[in-house]
Amino acid sequence: MQGVVGAFWEVDATLAAVEEGKRHRYGDITVFMPTPDHDVQAALEEGPSPVRLYTLIGGLCGVTFGYWIAVYTSIYWPLVVGGKAFAAWIPFTIIGFELMVLIGGLSTVLGLFINARLPKLQMTVGYDPRFSGAEYGIYVACGADRARDVEAALRRNGAAEVRIAA
Amino acid sequence: MATTAPPVSGRRLISDSELPNVPRAGVRLPAVRDFEQVDRDITSVLHPTAAWLLMLLVAVGMLALGISAWMYQIYAGVGVAGYHPPVMWAVYIVCFVFWIGIGHAGTLISAILYLFRAGFRTSIYRASEVMTVFAVMTAGLFPILHLGRPWKFFWLIPYPHWRLIWPNFKSPLVWDVFAVSTYLTISVTFLFIGLIPDLAVLRDREINPIRKRIFGVLSLGWRNSDREWRHFARAYLFLAALATPLVLSVHSVVSFDFAMALTPGWHATIFPPYFVAGAIFSGLGMVFTIIIPLRRFFRLEHYITLNDLDAAAKMCLFTSLVVASAYLSEFFVAWFGGDAVDQAFFWNRVFGQWWWAAWIMLICNCVLPLSLFSQRLRRNMIWLFILSLFINLGMWFERFVIIVPSLSHEFEPWQWSGYSPTWVDISILIGSFGWFFMWFLLFVRQLPILAITEVKEILPPRRRSPAKVGKLSGAGAGAGGVA
Repeated sequence: MQGVVGAFWEVDATLAAVEEGKRHRYGDITVFMPTPDHDVQAALEEGPSPVRLYTLIGGLCGVTFGYWIAVYTSIYWPLVVGGKAFAAWIPFTIIGFELMVLIGGLSTVLGLFINARLPKLQMTVGYDPRFSGAEYGIYVACGADRARDVEAALRRNGAAEVRIAA
Repeated sequence: MATTAPPVSGRRLISDSELPNVPRAGVRLPAVRDFEQVDRDITSVLHPTAAWLLMLLVAVGMLALGISAWMYQIYAGVGVAGYHPPVMWAVYIVCFVFWIGIGHAGTLISAILYLFRAGFRTSIYRASEVMTVFAVMTAGLFPILHLGRPWKFFWLIPYPHWRLIWPNFKSPLVWDVFAVSTYLTISVTFLFIGLIPDLAVLRDREINPIRKRIFGVLSLGWRNSDREWRHFARAYLFLAALATPLVLSVHSVVSFDFAMALTPGWHATIFPPYFVAGAIFSGLGMVFTIIIPLRRFFRLEHYITLNDLDAAAKMCLFTSLVVASAYLSEFFVAWFGGDAVDQAFFWNRVFGQWWWAAWIMLICNCVLPLSLFSQRLRRNMIWLFILSLFINLGMWFERFVIIVPSLSHEFEPWQWSGYSPTWVDISILIGSFGWFFMWFLLFVRQLPILAITEVKEILPPRRRSPAKVGKLSGAGAGAGGVA
């Protein structure tokens, strides 16, 4: 995908460029930031992350499985232990809780990997190693016809360097 | 001619105690200027030195001693560990509870304080988190060592078996397997997820192609994009939210190993909160033991500030008070409850056969930490380090006092007994410290011990100067007109 990438030193310049890019609808914008910035993320108008659903579903599956395996195995070979019922819910809550946390946690990681598209096995267009250090980067995916406008917009907002990326 | 210019204090060397690295509103790390400095300072320690190598060799030597003792125990049988009826739980279970407890402060600092948005955690949480993982790895070895036949440990794991036998899910020992393995998995996951952006920094700064490739694989191709940060923040928050009740549950479950038994000194409802507070207290002691030398040898005083350690010391003091009140309530319940067996047991614990262990516990855990009421001592790194060693000692003895005297002084007087560890127990105890510090030392020279990204987050980001903004807006108006 062709596009234009701009490198910025300052976070407010990055924010201004993102806002202008959104206003003029130049194309899909990706911002590379050494640390997350709430203003930039708000300007990108991103919705809530769906990772929470993975946590919820994983946690529910975990707690269900935890209770199920404890109850199933106790009934499968019925033997009274400690004078408790075969399906004694109080001790089995510990198994249910631990598996809820375990499966919920691992599902959260799965949700992160799926939504953030990790692991990345190929180079990312527009990424520069400086963006993990101190600089901010904006990559605008656009055709050749709009590249000049995007380049001008990035420079206007204080980009230290702008280049065409493909 | 007289002058009113103030003296320049920056001309002479000033120690920490004279001029604390005091943050101001909006500036938490005043001696750190920008993101480049963070990258430079934190990655500059990632190379082996002679002193580090020497310490690593000492740790490996201790581990070798422990492994040798274990091999001997496997050959000769678990009887060489000093066990004899009725004291069949001793140093190994003491070490298990001790090391699990050490891990708790790491999770408290990395997860619970993250949810509470406690700023002082930023500079110490990575080291604490690493400590958690290696402490739980160490703790997990002890039940296996204690088995005598370690190759049978998998019998505790539920798996379909041709004899249709499943573990007893009503047993605290099976709860332990679930709690500890979940704790280790979630701790490792939490540590790794937090490391990913830092691994990307290392990848992008690395020159050596082999190391660059390794960091590239470990960082999973992380690119710092807004999409990645958005999902990362949410996942990290939820992992912290899951780790928080987990940390409370794990030591509660460990305490059930004792509280579910009818043994005097064990069968108490206060055990879960008492164990959790004790675990956090002991873990904070180990955090100081690790962080203070690390801060000095890696010259990270301007990242791990006195204020951060002061705040952690206040938490340590608080948990010490909780632990002290738990000890007192145990004595009170024994006295007020009027149970003769309980009263005799607690008397024996404090003034009888085990007085020396109980008083080490009481002095190290309840008396010496009271010094932390003094701000001067909280900010004195030498005292804090010495105190942390006493806390480690005291908390090891707390577990010893809980386990051994209870078993040696149960209901029947003819059964009362003593216990003395053998060279095998002691060697394995030393080996566990070698195992823990070997992993920790390997980590600190290969991976960032301070969270690069989170340290950057608390720095004010670089912004345009007003002059530059004015110039750009003027240029923008012109360009806009042309467009």
